[in-house]
Amino acid sequence: MLKYTTKRLLYSAVILIFVMFIIYTLMYSMPTTYLEQKARELASKPGAGKSYDQWLEDLNAQYGMDKGLIAGYFTWVGTALRGEWGESWAWTVPVVEQFNNTVWYSFALGLVTLILQIIIAIPLGISAARRQYGFTDYFTSVVSMICISMPTFFLATLLKYIFSVQLGWLDLSGMQSRDYMYLSDFGKVLDVAEHFIMPAITLTVIGIGSLMRYTRTNMLEVLNSDYIRTARAKGVPEKKVINRHAFRNTLIPLVTTLGGSLTTLFSGALITETLFSIRGIGYASYHSMVQGDIPFTMFYLALISILTLLGNLITDLLYAAVDPRVRLS
Amino acid sequence: MANYKDLNEALKAKEARERAEQTAHADEGMHLDDVSRVKILSPGRQVTKRFMRNRLAIFGLYVLIIMFVFCFIGPLFYPYGQTEVFYKYDTISVDYALASETTSYTGYTVDEGVELERNVVSMMNTNIKAMEAGSLSEMNVSGSDGTLYGLEKLGEGIYTLSRYDAERLCTVGRTVLHVGLIDTITGEMSYSEGVDLGSAFVSAAAAACSGTEGEFEYGGTTYSFERAAGRRYDIYAANEGITYYAEAPGREFESALEAAIDNGDTMFSIDDPDAEPVLPAEGEEAAEGEEPAEPVVPQIEFDLHLDSDGNYSVYQIGEKHTGMVFTTFSPNMYNAGTSVTDEFRVGTLLSAYTTGEFTADGQDYTVEPDGEGGLLVRDSSGSEYADFTTFVIRRYDGKDTMSYALKSDIREVVAEMDESGEMRASVISQVPQQSADGGYQLDEDGNQILNDTELRITRRDTGEYVINCDQITYLIDLYAKPSAEHILGTDGDGFDVLSRVMYGGRISLMVGFVVVFLEIFLGVIMGGLAGYYGKWVDNLIMRLVDIFYCLPSMPIMIILGALMDALRMNTYVRLMLMMAALGIMGWAGIARMVRGQILSLREQEFMVATEATGIRVKDRIFRHLVPNVMPQLIVIATLNIGGVIITESTLSFLGLGVKHPLATWGTIINSVSSASAMSEYPFIWIPVGLLICFTVIAFNFVGDGLRDAYDPKAKR
Repeated sequence: MLKYTTKRLLYSAVILIFVMFIIYTLMYSMPTTYLEQKARELASKPGAGKSYDQWLEDLNAQYGMDKGLIAGYFTWVGTALRGEWGESWAWTVPVVEQFNNTVWYSFALGLVTLILQIIIAIPLGISAARRQYGFTDYFTSVVSMICISMPTFFLATLLKYIFSVQLGWLDLSGMQSRDYMYLSDFGKVLDVAEHFIMPAITLTVIGIGSLMRYTRTNMLEVLNSDYIRTARAKGVPEKKVINRHAFRNTLIPLVTTLGGSLTTLFSGALITETLFSIRGIGYASYHSMVQGDIPFTMFYLALISILTLLGNLITDLLYAAVDPRVRLS
Repeated sequence: MANYKDLNEALKAKEARERAEQTAHADEGMHLDDVSRVKILSPGRQVTKRFMRNRLAIFGLYVLIIMFVFCFIGPLFYPYGQTEVFYKYDTISVDYALASETTSYTGYTVDEGVELERNVVSMMNTNIKAMEAGSLSEMNVSGSDGTLYGLEKLGEGIYTLSRYDAERLCTVGRTVLHVGLIDTITGEMSYSEGVDLGSAFVSAAAAACSGTEGEFEYGGTTYSFERAAGRRYDIYAANEGITYYAEAPGREFESALEAAIDNGDTMFSIDDPDAEPVLPAEGEEAAEGEEPAEPVVPQIEFDLHLDSDGNYSVYQIGEKHTGMVFTTFSPNMYNAGTSVTDEFRVGTLLSAYTTGEFTADGQDYTVEPDGEGGLLVRDSSGSEYADFTTFVIRRYDGKDTMSYALKSDIREVVAEMDESGEMRASVISQVPQQSADGGYQLDEDGNQILNDTELRITRRDTGEYVINCDQITYLIDLYAKPSAEHILGTDGDGFDVLSRVMYGGRISLMVGFVVVFLEIFLGVIMGGLAGYYGKWVDNLIMRLVDIFYCLPSMPIMIILGALMDALRMNTYVRLMLMMAALGIMGWAGIARMVRGQILSLREQEFMVATEATGIRVKDRIFRHLVPNVMPQLIVIATLNIGGVIITESTLSFLGLGVKHPLATWGTIINSVSSASAMSEYPFIWIPVGLLICFTVIAFNFVGDGLRDAYDPKAKR
C-alpha cells in the first residue's frame, strides 16, 4: 500500500512537471508586447508601488521569460518549489495571500453543493434503478439529462431572471447586501448565505445529473449480481435487500468518486463564481486570466493540476480501502 | 475472389427459388417449427430496431433533425440575413432647423482666374462695414504686396471685390539692381534676366573687378561689385531717385508723383497724353441725371505704394477684374432640393441691380428686387424660381434642403414673433420623413413623404431662431419586441434575432462537429498505435494521455481567448484556433477508449488471421481493428458534440470565443447579458438558451440510445 502510494505520487509528480511545462509554454508564447503593455498598465495604476521596469524585472526573475523556454521553465519551477509565487498583477497582493482570501468562500460553496448533490442525486438514482423503465426511471433520466445539458451560464441567467428580476427575492450578484456593514455578526453570516443560494442551486443542478446517472448504473449492476439473487432467493425482505445488500455495494464506486472529487472543493467554480460575483478562487482566477495576471494564473493552473492528480490518487486508494476485493499493484 | 462471387450468385438464386416455393404454398400454412418463421436481421438492422424502440432517443433524433433543418436549410428560406440591419419610423425630438438674419457677408467666386489675396478677402466684412458707415459706393484697398483691389457696391447687400491689373512703373529711392555675374578670367558675363549692357560693359567690368569688393563707373552709372567665389564677381547697379522699369511717361508724371509723395496720397493720376477727350455716353447721362458733362480727358491712374525698404513703388493701374462677390443674401429655391450652383448664385447677385438678366448653367433667368428687401429670380418661362433673402432658414446641419413652403411658414411665424416680441411660438407644417442616411424618404413617385408636424420655434439671445420638432425619422430598430415581422425581435445592432439564431446555430453545430472530428482523428491514431504496438509506444502515448487528461481545459481556453482579445485577432482566425485548441485538448479520452478496445480485440482470432495472411500493419490497424471500435466511437462522438457545444457557447458567452459580427448561440446571449438588458429583453436570450439546451439534450439522448442499441448487455 505504502509502496503503491509512493509510486503513484512520484508518477503524479512527473505528470505534473509535463502539464506545467505545457502551461508554461502557453504563457511563454504570449507576445512580449502584450506583457510589456500589461506591465505598463500596472505601473501606471495608482498605488502601483513599482515602476514599469521593476514589474518586467520581477516577471523575468520569477518566470525566466527572458531566457530560453527550457531554462525559463526551470527558473520558474525553482521559484515555485521555494514557495515564491510572486505578487498578483490583478489584485496587487501576494498570490498566496489572495489565495487565502478567496479559497474559503469557494470551499464553503463547494461543500454546500456537494452535500446537496449527494442528498438529491443518490436517493433519486437508487429509486430509478429499483424500478427500471418505470415512471421514476424515465423521470430521473430526463431530469438528469436536462441537468447535464444545461449550460451553466444559461441556468445562472435564468435563476437571476426569476429570483432577482421577476420575484426580487435575491440580489442579482455579489456576496453582500448594501447594508452589510450595519448587520450583527450573525446577520452577516445569514446575508452571505443568502447570496450563496443561487450559486449553490446552479452548481447543484449542473452536478446532480451525472451523479444520478452514475448511481443508477451502479445500482443496476449491483441488483443484477448473483448475491442479490441469492438474498432474494433466501427470502430476505425486498426492503432489506435494497437497503443493506444492494445499497452498501453501490456505495463502493460512489464513495471512491466522491472522495476523489473532494479536492475540487479547493479549486472553486470558475464560471459560476464569476457569473454571481462570489469572490472565491474561481472568480479571482477568472479575472486574473482575463487581465493577463501571469503570477496568479500560473498559481491557479498549478493548483488545479495538483488537485486533479491528487483526486485521481485518492480515488484509487479509496477504492482499495473500501473494496477488499481490489488489490493494488 | 471470383468463386465467392459465383457463390453469392448461387445463393441468391437459391433464395429466390425458395421464396417462390413459399409463396406457392402460402395457403398451406406453416409448421410451428418452420425455419422461415424466424426472422433474421442483419446486425445493422438489429441496432436500428433497438434504437427505434428507445423513445427518448427518437425524440432526440427528431429534435436534431429539426435543429439541422432550422440552422442549415432555414436561412435559405428566411428572408433576412444575419447582418441585415432593420429600421423603423419613429418620432424623435430634433433641433430641425436654425433661422437667423444674416448680417455678415459671404463671398462667392466670380472668376477663378483672378488672384485675390487672402488677407484682402478676409478683411472684406470690415471693409464693407466701413463703406456702409461712410456711405461709399467704391473703395480701394491695397494688399500687402501693393496690389490694388477695388470694392464696389452693386446694391443693397451686394458688393464686389476686384483686382486691378497693375504694372510696376518705377521705384523712388535708392535701388540696387543685380546686373550679373562676371568671370574675370574668361571674361564671360552672365546677365540677370532682362539686363544686357553689351560687350563693352563686360570688358570694362572685367578690368575693374579685383579684390573682394569695390566700385567702378561705366556710362555715367556707378556699379559696385562683390566677390562671389574665386575670380567671379556679382555686379550691382545702384540708382538714386527714380528707377524706371518701363518707358517713362514724362515730366508731367514725375511732378505728379512728387506731389503725391508730399501729400501722402496713395493714388494719383495724370491726363492720358495719347487719348482724345471723350463725351460721356448719352444713356449714362440720362440714367445718372447729371448736368450735361464736359468732355472728359481719360486719366491714367497710378498707385503709390510704400515698400518695406522705405522706397516707393509706383504702379500704373490698368483694367480691373471682378474676382468675388460678397453678399448677405441666401437663395431659397421654390423647388426644394434643387441645388444651387455658384454660377447661378453669382449670376443673380451680379445682375440683380443692373441688367436683371443672366444665364447660368445654360438657362436664362431674370432677377429683380421683390420690394421687401429680397431678390426674386424667375426662370425663362417667367415662373418664380428662387428668391434671395437675408433671413436664412437652414437645416441644423447647415444644408439647404428645406422646402419653400416650410420655409415661408417659418418665416411668417418669425415675423409675427418679432412683432409681438414673444420668445416662443409654434406652427404646424409639413415636415418630410427622414431616411436612414439622413436624407429625405421618397415614396414610389419620387415625392417626399410629408407629415403634419408641430414646429416649436424658440428665439435665442443671439437673435437666432431654433426650430425644434418631433420629426419622423428612419431609425435602426433596436431591441424590437417580437412581432410578426421579427418573430424573436431584433437585437442591439438592429439584426433580426431569429436569423442570427439560425446562422449562429450553424456555427455552433459546425464547431461541435469539427472539434469532435479532430478529437476522433487524433484519438484514433494515438489510441490505435498505442493499442496495437503496446510496449514502449503504448507507455509513451498513455503518459501523453495522462498529461492531456490533467490539463485544465476551461482555464486554458479562457487564457487563449483573453490573449486573442489582446492581439485583436480576426474573428475567423479566432474561430479556427478555438476549434483546434478544443480538439487538441479533447482527444485523450478517445485515445484511451480506442486503446482499451484494441487491446482486447488484438487477442481475437481474426487478428491472428490478418497476421497469418500478411496484411500490412497499417491496414491491420485502420481496416480491421478501428472499424471494430466504430460503435463506441460513434457513441462517444455524439455525446461529445453536446459537450463541445456547451463549452463553445460558454466561451462565447464570456466574450472569449466567437466575436461579432459572427453569431453563435453563446454570443447572442452574451449581447444581452448585462443586468439591465437581461431583465429587459428576455425574448432574446431565453429562446436561444433553450435552443442550446434542446440541442445538447438531443445529442445526449441520441448518444445514449446508440450506446444501448449497440451494446444491449450494458443496458440490462
